[in-house]
Amino acid sequence: VLKKEINDLLTQTGPGTPMGEVFRQYWIPALLAEELPEDDCPQVRVKLLSERMIAFRDSEGRYGLIDEFCAHRGASLWFGRNEEGGLRCAYHGWKFDVTGQAVEIPSEPENSNFCSHVRLRAYPLVKIGDVLWTHMGDPAKRPPMPEFEFALVAAEQNYTSKRWQESNWLQAFEGGIDSSHVSWLHSGGLKNDPLFKGAKGNEYNMRDFRPFFEVADAEGGLFVGARRNAEEDSYYWRITPWVMPSFTLVPPRGDHPMHGHWWIPIDDDNCWAYSFDYHPTRPLSDTELAAMRAGHGVHSENIPGTSRPMANKDNDYLMDREAQRRGDTFSGVKGIAMQDASLQESMGPVVDRSKERLVSADAGIIKARQKLRKAAVALRDEGTVPPGVNPVHHHVRSAAVVLPRDAAFIDSSREALTAEPGKPHASV
Amino acid sequence: MHPILQSSCALATSRAEARFRIDVPIEGRRGARVVALDDGAATLVRRLAHEPWNGARFYTLSAAPDGAATGDDMALYRTSGGTTRLGAELADGDVTVMIATRPGAAEPTIEAIGRACAKRGIMTAGIVLGDQDRLGGTVRALRPHAQVLLVTPDPQDVAEVLTAIRA
Repeated sequence: VLKKEINDLLTQTGPGTPMGEVFRQYWIPALLAEELPEDDCPQVRVKLLSERMIAFRDSEGRYGLIDEFCAHRGASLWFGRNEEGGLRCAYHGWKFDVTGQAVEIPSEPENSNFCSHVRLRAYPLVKIGDVLWTHMGDPAKRPPMPEFEFALVAAEQNYTSKRWQESNWLQAFEGGIDSSHVSWLHSGGLKNDPLFKGAKGNEYNMRDFRPFFEVADAEGGLFVGARRNAEEDSYYWRITPWVMPSFTLVPPRGDHPMHGHWWIPIDDDNCWAYSFDYHPTRPLSDTELAAMRAGHGVHSENIPGTSRPMANKDNDYLMDREAQRRGDTFSGVKGIAMQDASLQESMGPVVDRSKERLVSADAGIIKARQKLRKAAVALRDEGTVPPGVNPVHHHVRSAAVVLPRDAAFIDSSREALTAEPGKPHASV
Repeated sequence: MHPILQSSCALATSRAEARFRIDVPIEGRRGARVVALDDGAATLVRRLAHEPWNGARFYTLSAAPDGAATGDDMALYRTSGGTTRLGAELADGDVTVMIATRPGAAEPTIEAIGRACAKRGIMTAGIVLGDQDRLGGTVRALRPHAQVLLVTPDPQDVAEVLTAIRA
């Protein structure tokens, strides 16, 4: 249960809002690199944290993320021309470079210095892995670049997709640290999904529907451990790290790739789900890549040329009651990503958390909300940099391990939960 | 597959439709039982007991002569005054939250509470306040008996959890 003012605090991320300022402390995914595939390619509209921007890649391969609207009359630069080192407005030919600086204003005299006084708001746009990252906060407080393992492994070891989710970011993120829904909502996926099935851990999952949970504080966020009975003297632990503000990793299954998400607010009613798979020690196979592109695992099958899932709220997520009856899917919705998204969107754009009935098994969600709230207030009132900005906090992994019954999951898995190049992942 | 009504989810999940959700006040939980397992936790629990709750009851471990009794007869001390028995307090309980702040929590006590709750189908949670390294023994003792375990340095988490579950 959250009072309205706390719910507002956590869910509103526009400029000047406390949580919006929290997000502006981090490097966050802005686009997939494939959206700007070559120099002078078509520019892309981008909306993040309730700000509308245009992203482009100029003739020299530099990336830019600038105000969508021309400084002259406010026309959208999406209609402009990306050419000769800048983006030229289609209306009157004003041209801007990747820093937002006006470089040509054709209506002014040739030797006018008016140009130098016109600058659009711009944010950095940097490629790391297959993602273009931005920092929308104070340039004077720009943090070091992110060091998440999925973005640092070799290109052939990683695949990232992007999905538009029609709900507030917090609803989507909370699903990422809610391990108790997996045995229910995704039970079909554990049997059928090519990126999940076949792992020994799945048997433990499906044998024990009442996991125990442990939530442990971490410098950058939390570790949420879900414990199920394994053998007589051991437990099967699935450990989910959360790095603030909205990065989570899903515990792996067998030798399948590891996967996770970044949830980024578009505005208060929509968010991007960046979903990735990576293997820390080997390239992804053609079969795995084909499955990911087809929308299996944590990915979605999107309408070609868009980031909108084929199964979406306009077609009732292609609800298949027969598949539900047969047990192929628990909810009737196909695919793990859309099973989550359909339920999270069903709550409405911003769920009224004063009406919910949390139980103690929701301790991870309760603790995460508290950490977010404290971070927002500490930043607003004292200027405290929130957890998760420091790249050291990014060096985490999820893990799925079998431990003796008396073992503490954090102590026993510390090595497994730390990302190091080339180290095999801990998975059952 | 049967045909589906176009846009039914699209309409139902809109912000506008949220106005028509049935709006009935949610009753608080009546059956929360909060037990302090050590002196540090007792201080916290006594303070929390003064705040307004829906029906939560708060206890410390009794220093009464028969305090060593276990099982349903285990003695608890109500923060509101007087000694009571574990079995009696759990009769209409639905969640028991055990709070610990120190190493060396009494395993028989935790086990007695855990077993009594399990017998009645009562959810159990443990909140360990402090550092995982220092309180490892307490965490280990709670693990078999707390279906949810939160290890945190922040004492405010106790109130947060109780508020969230409408205790």
